Amino acid sequence: MNTLIALAGLAVLILVLEIINLRKTIVPLTILGLLAALGITFCDVQILSDNYNNMIVETNFSKMFSSLFIVITIFLVAMSQDFYKEQYEKISDYISLKIFLLIGAVCMISFGNLTMFFIGLEILSITLYILAGSNPTKIKSNEAGMKYFLLGSFASGFILFGIALIYGATASFDLNTISNAILNPETPNFLSLGVVLVTIGMLFKIAAFPFHFWAPDVYQGSPTITTASMSTLAKVAAMATLFKIHAIFESYISEAFTVLLICLAIVTMFVGNIMALKQDNIKRMLAYSGISHAGFMMIALFNTANATAELFYYAAAYSFASIAAFAIIIAVCKNYKDEKIKHFKGLGKQNPMMAAVLTMALLSMAGIPIFAGFFGKFFLFDSALQSGHLELVIFGVINSIISVYYYFKVINQMYSQEAISELPETNHSWIYKTVAVLAILLNIAMGLCPSSILNLF
Amino acid sequence: MIEILFYLLSAITLGSAFITILSKNPIHSAIWLVVCFFSIAGHYALLNSQFLAMVHIIVYSGAIMILMLFTIMLMNLNISNEISKPLVTKIVATIAFCLVGLVLVSALTQTAPAFDAYVNSGQDYQSIQVLGKVLMNEFVVPFEMTAVLLLMAMIGAVLISKKDKKIA
Repeated sequence: MNTLIALAGLAVLILVLEIINLRKTIVPLTILGLLAALGITFCDVQILSDNYNNMIVETNFSKMFSSLFIVITIFLVAMSQDFYKEQYEKISDYISLKIFLLIGAVCMISFGNLTMFFIGLEILSITLYILAGSNPTKIKSNEAGMKYFLLGSFASGFILFGIALIYGATASFDLNTISNAILNPETPNFLSLGVVLVTIGMLFKIAAFPFHFWAPDVYQGSPTITTASMSTLAKVAAMATLFKIHAIFESYISEAFTVLLICLAIVTMFVGNIMALKQDNIKRMLAYSGISHAGFMMIALFNTANATAELFYYAAAYSFASIAAFAIIIAVCKNYKDEKIKHFKGLGKQNPMMAAVLTMALLSMAGIPIFAGFFGKFFLFDSALQSGHLELVIFGVINSIISVYYYFKVINQMYSQEAISELPETNHSWIYKTVAVLAILLNIAMGLCPSSILNLF
Repeated sequence: MIEILFYLLSAITLGSAFITILSKNPIHSAIWLVVCFFSIAGHYALLNSQFLAMVHIIVYSGAIMILMLFTIMLMNLNISNEISKPLVTKIVATIAFCLVGLVLVSALTQTAPAFDAYVNSGQDYQSIQVLGKVLMNEFVVPFEMTAVLLLMAMIGAVLISKKDKKIA
């Protein structure tokens, strides 16, 4: 609750700063404010200890994921300074929308009441619809905003219908009451219908098969920094929420539905990886790779009792690698109209540092040791083995091998091909480099001492 | 008396919903949808939910329908150039809808009404007074978060419609 209040205050403060003409101070002040919010969240400062009728429940789970979201937002806000240079008069709107995105994400994972869950989800999604379509002069951005809005509202509708059915069956929005009602044999059958509908809506939000069709178009059309927030913040928030909801209803859902979810996780991994092989646009490729990562993260759903720390570790590793990759993509593709992989030709010679960071980020996503991505996969597979789901591990390993191919396609372009374009020496902003290096350092640090993260749970 | 009203309203709801879907002219569809919304508000009133009925009329029949009519007129959609879908799509859609309908109907017919006997508590739970108290006590956090949601939507609308200085 303290985190939410602090963040809402910060978002309003940004708008006030715009009014009193302090536009230049917005980004540094926001980063300071976010660091303060990170301190409040991580150190569990309890200024208000009321739990407001169990609306917001602060657990270790919500604390850790909120901290991760705040760190991701710090990176995104830092990149905004340069990214929105050409529309600088709108910077306060963009930054405050990013803070609202964070509020929605925090609200979604710390809910204790389904109304809070839905409002958090809506804050998160509506902010993303706006940010996806925030470049009205570009037809691709319009397409992305429209597609995401139409399909996303259907998913929200499913979730709302599901919540209504759950309410109908248990007569409460409160999670404690609901988990008691689940154990009661007199609870009507249509509770499971509600659970299925909510799960479907959340599967849409994490872009799992067969609800993934929006992801590539939306990721490609949106401004790159929005793509970065979608593939890190929004995806991890939706995944963590799905995990939390699944943990509540796990004892209730039928065996057949669990089998269906296992199949969906496997097919999601395959669809993401196989489609990514053929892409020539790097944002589209990362969209498909994001789909396959959603499939990997779904492995955690089948061992909810023991996989919390593993899911957090994987999500953090994936997010930091993604942030690093997107920072480099923004810097490299700033002068091009699109984000073709061929723009990266010769980057290894022109700018060895950026090429090295992008290589490390992609290697982490592929799951090569020392980088956190490897240990993330390792821990998730371990949790699947503990719960006796050998098939998930087998298909997961096969998919890791497939994914290496397309990640190396980009690395190959950077190092073994000559640059084709005669673009003037671009002066890459130091912000992108700093963000990318910091993100990848966090990733490597996590890879070097994984226990420091796992022991936090 | 109430039963007759219920069947009358249901007939109007279903009938106008069908005409909404089947009519070729989008403007006619929109107008029939207004009728449909009004009759649903009638259902709420029959269930003794006056507040919900009023809000439904204000929000759906008022605000949302005006928005839809504006969109139709602004985008010149009233010239009907319907793209007919292939037969396979139609068949698949029908089968999928029937399956969903079957699941919903079979699940919902198993439910028993939560209260067999009505107890008169002496308090009017439909009054705005009670609703306000619940919103401000038990549900005060979601209420405030809705304020955040609205503020954010407003900023978003401004952001999208603001002109870029370079182009202007």
